[in-house]
Amino acid sequence: MAVTLKYPFVKIEAPPEYRGVPHINPRLCIGCGACVNACPADALLRIDDYEKGTRKIVLDVGRCIRCARCDEACPTGAIRMTRNFEVATLDRKDHVEVVELRLHRCPNCGSYTDYTERALEKALQILPEGLFDGDEIRKRAILCRNCRRKLTVDDAVEASREVVE
Amino acid sequence: MKEWARKITDEKVRERYVNEVIERFRDKIIRVERNADNQWMIEIRKEDLPEVIGYIINHPEWKETQLSTMVGADERPLRGKFSLIYWISINGASGDVFFGIKTYISEDDPKFPSVTPIHPGANWYEREVKDLLGLIPEGHPDPRRLVLPDDWPEGVYPLRKDFHYTDSPKREFTDETKYPYREPPKGTAVFPLGPYHVALDEPGHFRLYVKGEEIVDVDYRLFYQHRGIEKIGENRLTYDQVNFIAERICGICGTAHALAYAQAVEAAGGVEVPERAEYIRTVMAEIERLHSHLLNLGLACHDVGFDKGFMDAFRLREHVMWLAERLTGNRKTYGMVVIGGVRRDFLEYRRSMIEKVIRELREGFQKWADQTLSTKTFVKRCEGVGVLSYKDAKRWSSVGPWARGSGRDLDARRDHPFAAYKYLDFKVPVYKEGDVLARCLVRAEEILESIWIIEQALDEMPGGDILAEWKEIPPYQEAVGFTEAPRGEDVHYVMTGEGNRLYRWRIRASTYNNFPALPDAMRGNSVADAVLIIASMDPCYSCTERVQVVDARSGKVRVLTEKELTELSRKASRGV
Repeated sequence: MAVTLKYPFVKIEAPPEYRGVPHINPRLCIGCGACVNACPADALLRIDDYEKGTRKIVLDVGRCIRCARCDEACPTGAIRMTRNFEVATLDRKDHVEVVELRLHRCPNCGSYTDYTERALEKALQILPEGLFDGDEIRKRAILCRNCRRKLTVDDAVEASREVVE
Repeated sequence: MKEWARKITDEKVRERYVNEVIERFRDKIIRVERNADNQWMIEIRKEDLPEVIGYIINHPEWKETQLSTMVGADERPLRGKFSLIYWISINGASGDVFFGIKTYISEDDPKFPSVTPIHPGANWYEREVKDLLGLIPEGHPDPRRLVLPDDWPEGVYPLRKDFHYTDSPKREFTDETKYPYREPPKGTAVFPLGPYHVALDEPGHFRLYVKGEEIVDVDYRLFYQHRGIEKIGENRLTYDQVNFIAERICGICGTAHALAYAQAVEAAGGVEVPERAEYIRTVMAEIERLHSHLLNLGLACHDVGFDKGFMDAFRLREHVMWLAERLTGNRKTYGMVVIGGVRRDFLEYRRSMIEKVIRELREGFQKWADQTLSTKTFVKRCEGVGVLSYKDAKRWSSVGPWARGSGRDLDARRDHPFAAYKYLDFKVPVYKEGDVLARCLVRAEEILESIWIIEQALDEMPGGDILAEWKEIPPYQEAVGFTEAPRGEDVHYVMTGEGNRLYRWRIRASTYNNFPALPDAMRGNSVADAVLIIASMDPCYSCTERVQVVDARSGKVRVLTEKELTELSRKASRGV
């Protein structure tokens, strides 16, 4: 029943259940920020730049406590716990992963919205078929908050006018 | 044992106790409220604190009654006042009741009569309230600083609601900044022990006042690693996030903390946990106890110079760690417990893994125990050393194996059954000798009991869900959650708040109640045994201190002065 291992001279593999260092797959990430909201240790940050129209999802493994809440929260399976446990490094920057995504631009006013192009695409994709007013939702989803609000009010005014006349 | 479990949850017994207290202090009680199944909150005026608390704690029939936790809260945004709650638990054969004695204190007159002269167990609690909230216990015999660093400015109280959690007051560390240690008694020399414990690798500074080899008196300074977790929990984290931070309060008994927190929120919010989840929680808590007790027994061997026992205990422990890794995804900080249940189920292959490991552990441990307890060097070093009398254990409200080794018959698993312990059958070992050996024996027997509990739990585990869904937790509900950690009872108090956040979270780790009794156990022993006695308490500094502030106090600095070193360390810790 010896328990002494030859590690680090021999490489060892963590068991399949292991919660190791999280890693973001940038091809799957839609930048929704669900992981940022779930992270207890602030290891994940969401940084929006409305001038350049970018959103950065920043993962700092140095702050990570391996609770795997991000893994559970991610709607696309982009962030996953790996089985890697070796994090020692000489440079703190090695611990940081950044995913940069483009923010969606409102086709009406041209300002950047607070969601990414990919998040919009995903939302439209999972919108059920045959939904009541589905076309209206599709029409509004691409607008920024202000334009959406304005469109709704204008439509309502228009509708009431029709009723009165 | 099952009979008894039913008896103590008998509603009539509880009613009798509550009625007795209400009858006796009829004209002093302002309000009585039942917070949860076994928790009653009684509001009184602050002048009556010592009388009411003294009566309940020293009640002749309720032998193992003790001060479980004390909570100070800044309720000024709600009621314009501060509040204090002394949570007293009734243990042993008496019944399953928690009394919360609550009182309000106005900001203009932040004084309250100290309970410490009647019950010394309140010592730390009242000093902490003084440090963090600025409420002054009048008549406290030892009003020195406890939690805050020596150079923290006077009049800044970090737990008040007007202190933002990112604030950091300007601090001046000068050569004059010194902690007021007690003057050494006449004819004694000072023997410093620490700032690091030699075996436990955790910070805590002891001053042993010695006459030759004999320890005459002891003074200590702790809280070198106060992390301000409670403040973060109240300001930055949501209910679900707190659970994972709670688990990281302690590197050894994390699940006990996560469980205590989850149970407190469940009690406050009325969340029902599925039965299967209760069983899984129980098994995880017991696996944690196994590895923690093996660690402590190993260290006890190491401290007496019996390294064979140390190596063997750690070898046994490693299998438990590997098991935990397969079950939960990590050796420690399991991340299993969340509010409403657990996160990972015990699948069939995991179940057979547990069975195999505990079967081998039982054999291996029995062999270890036979070997160690027949080793004369070990027994002679532990026998009659560091005796803590029953009276002292009770006086300081001690918990866990530290108290059970001194004859206190209390165990939260049996007395306030939580999780699945109410369905299971087990013994609570109690020894009357009060020495280091008695504590080791308590732990050794508890390991065998834990194995037995796990076997039962695996057999009886029902199917079903493992996580209950909960939507909203009503604001401003108060409750305590309690677990029996390897070191004794852990108590978490929560007051729920608005916006998915806690209003107040108070953590009380078991070592918090055990530590103040340490000087009593050390007096009269020789210096060589000091390390062993401290280790036999199984202290967990980071648990107790919940505390990132670096206070360097090293005599070995060649170039840097103490002041420079402190500033440097602070800068380094900020840069993270």
